[in-house]
Amino acid sequence: MADLSLPQVVTIPNYFSQGLLALPAELADSNDAPSLLTAALNSTLHRERWKYSKTAPVLEGLNNAMNLPTIVGGEQPGIQINHEPQQNLGFGFDLSQAPEAFARLCYAQQVLFIHVENALEAPLEIHHSDSTVPVLLSLGANADAILLETFTGNLQPQNTLWISLAEGSHLKHSRNSLDEAKLHWQYLAVDIGKNADYLLNNHAAGAGLRRQDIQIRISGQGANAELISASMISGKMALDQQVTLEHLVANGKSKQVVHNIVADGGKCTFNGRIHIYEGANGTDATLSNKNLGLGKNATINTKPELEIYTDDVTCAHGATIGQLSDQELFYLTSRGISPQAAQALLSEGFLRQCTQGPLAEAALPILINAIKQEQVA
Amino acid sequence: MSLLEVTNLHATVGAQDQQKAILKGLNISVNLGEVHAIMGPNGSGKSTLANVLSGRPGYTVTDGSMTLADEDLAELEPHERAQLGLFLAFQYPVEIPGVSNMEFLKASVDSLARARGQEQPNTAAFIKQVRLLAASVDLDPQFLKRGVNEGFSGGEKKRNEIMQLLLLEPKLAILDETDSGLDIDALQVVAEGVNRYKNENNGVVLITHYQRLLDYIVPDFVHVLADGKIVQSGDKSLALELEDKGYAWLT
Repeated sequence: MADLSLPQVVTIPNYFSQGLLALPAELADSNDAPSLLTAALNSTLHRERWKYSKTAPVLEGLNNAMNLPTIVGGEQPGIQINHEPQQNLGFGFDLSQAPEAFARLCYAQQVLFIHVENALEAPLEIHHSDSTVPVLLSLGANADAILLETFTGNLQPQNTLWISLAEGSHLKHSRNSLDEAKLHWQYLAVDIGKNADYLLNNHAAGAGLRRQDIQIRISGQGANAELISASMISGKMALDQQVTLEHLVANGKSKQVVHNIVADGGKCTFNGRIHIYEGANGTDATLSNKNLGLGKNATINTKPELEIYTDDVTCAHGATIGQLSDQELFYLTSRGISPQAAQALLSEGFLRQCTQGPLAEAALPILINAIKQEQVA
Repeated sequence: MSLLEVTNLHATVGAQDQQKAILKGLNISVNLGEVHAIMGPNGSGKSTLANVLSGRPGYTVTDGSMTLADEDLAELEPHERAQLGLFLAFQYPVEIPGVSNMEFLKASVDSLARARGQEQPNTAAFIKQVRLLAASVDLDPQFLKRGVNEGFSGGEKKRNEIMQLLLLEPKLAILDETDSGLDIDALQVVAEGVNRYKNENNGVVLITHYQRLLDYIVPDFVHVLADGKIVQSGDKSLALELEDKGYAWLT
C-alpha cells in the first residue's frame, strides 16, 4: 500500500499560537507538524478507518477552493459570527483520529466561528453548496439551539464542522445530505461538556461515495449524545459511515440507532466504535445498526465495536443485515396489499423509524422516492 | 349457497426436500351465513388449514382442491385471495414498526377497492370510520398512530385483528385461535365483534381449542380435525361433548 500524503505542507494558523484554540496534544510538544500528520495518516488505526473508502481523492481535495456556507438565523440575538476566534471556546482536535480534518482546517484561508451565547429563538441554519470553509460552532454554558444543516453539490465537496458544547448546553442538530455528489466527504466532531445534550438526526441518500465521519466525545460528566440516522443507498452508489463515540468521563449516556437501506448494486459501510475510557463509570451506551438489502447484489459492511476500560458500565451493541421479513410481507399481503406495495411500505417503515426531527419532512419523500425508483428498476 | 369448498385437501409444510404431510384429505363446505368451528388436538393441522387457505409461503398443496366463491384459491397469491374476500385473523399478529396502523389499514382498504373496481374511500371519512371501529373493540384510537401491532399486548393484537375484520368486511373470515391468550373481558369483546360481522352474506371458520369461545359465538357446525382430516362433525353439542370427554374417543 502506497504511503498517504497531504497535498500541501501544513502551516499552523496563528490563532493556535495565540492560545485561542488548543493544539492537538501531539503538536503541543513538537514543531514538526508535517511529519506528525503523515505518521497519523499512515497509522494502522487510520488505515483501518479508511479501509472501505479511497483515501487519496479525499486527501487531494483538502486544499481545493472553499466557499462560505449560507447562514440563516445568524443575525438573531445571542449569536456571534467571526472569522477569528474571540476567546478560547474549548474545541478539541485529535490528530490521530482525524489528521485530514485538521489539515483541512490549516489549509483554509477562512474559517467560520459561530458562537451561541444563550437560548436561541429561531433555528440556526447552515446550507453548504459544494466545498465550504471549516465551521467551528460553540455553545456557551446553558445555551440552547437547533442547528439545521443541508447540502447541495455534485462534484467532490468537503464539509468540516467542529462543535463544542459547554456545560449545560443543548444542541439539536439535523442534517440532510440528499444531493448526488460524486465524492462527498463530511467530517463532524462534537465535544460535549458537563450535563450538556447533543442530538444528531442524520439523513443521507446515495452519492457516488458519501463518506460521513462522525466523532463524538463525551468529555463532561452527565453528558448525553444521541445519533439517529436513516439512509437510502441506491444502485451503484456508496455510503461510508465511520462513527466514533468516546466516553471520557463518568455518567455519560449515548444512544445510536442507524438504519440503512442498500439497493441492488449499492454499497454501504458502517463502522461504529464506542470507546469507554478508564474511570468512565456509570456510562450507559447503546448502538444499533440495521441494514436492509434490496435485490441480490447489495454490499453491506458493518462493524460495531466496543472498547471498554472500566467495569461499571451498561453497554449494548448490535448489527443486523437482512432482507424484508417474510412474516411481515405475508401479514400485509394477506390484507390485499400487493407484494410490491407491501415491500415499499416495509422499506419506508424501516427508514421512518430513524427519520426524525425538523428536517425529517424534507428527507422522507426523497428517501422514499429513491426506494420507489429502485423498485421500478 | 356454497362459499368455501375444500375437497380432499392434502398439504405439506417445509422446504422441498423435507416436506412433512400435515393435511391428508380434508373436506369442509361452508355456506353463506354459516359459522363453522374447527377443534382438534395439538398438531392435528388446524393452523395449517388456515395458513394453506390464506396462502402463507412454506405450504404446498399436493392434492385436492379449495375454492372460495367458485374461484380456485390455489391459483391465487395471498393478496389476490384477500381481494377475493378471504380474511385470516392471525394466531400471532405480526409487529411492524415504522408502518402506522392507520397507514396500513388505508393501504389495505385502497388495495381491496382498487382490485374490486370500487372507489377508494375519502381519507377524512376513512379515519373517522376506523376510529369508531377501534373504539367499538375497546382499542384506544391512539394505537392507530403507532406501528402495526407494535408494543401491543396479546389482547390488543387480537382486538386489532377483529377491528380489521369489521373494516374489511370479507366474504369469509378464518379466525385462527383468536381466543387464545385472552382474558374473559377481551374474549367477549372479540366475540361481540365477530357476531357484529357475521350475516347472511358471509361465512366464518373458527379455529379454537376451547369450547368457551363457542358460548359467545354459536357455531352451526363443529368439526374435529385429527391427523389432517375431519374425523367427526356435528352441531354445537359436539363441542360440549369434547369438553367433557377430550379427543381420545375420536382418534
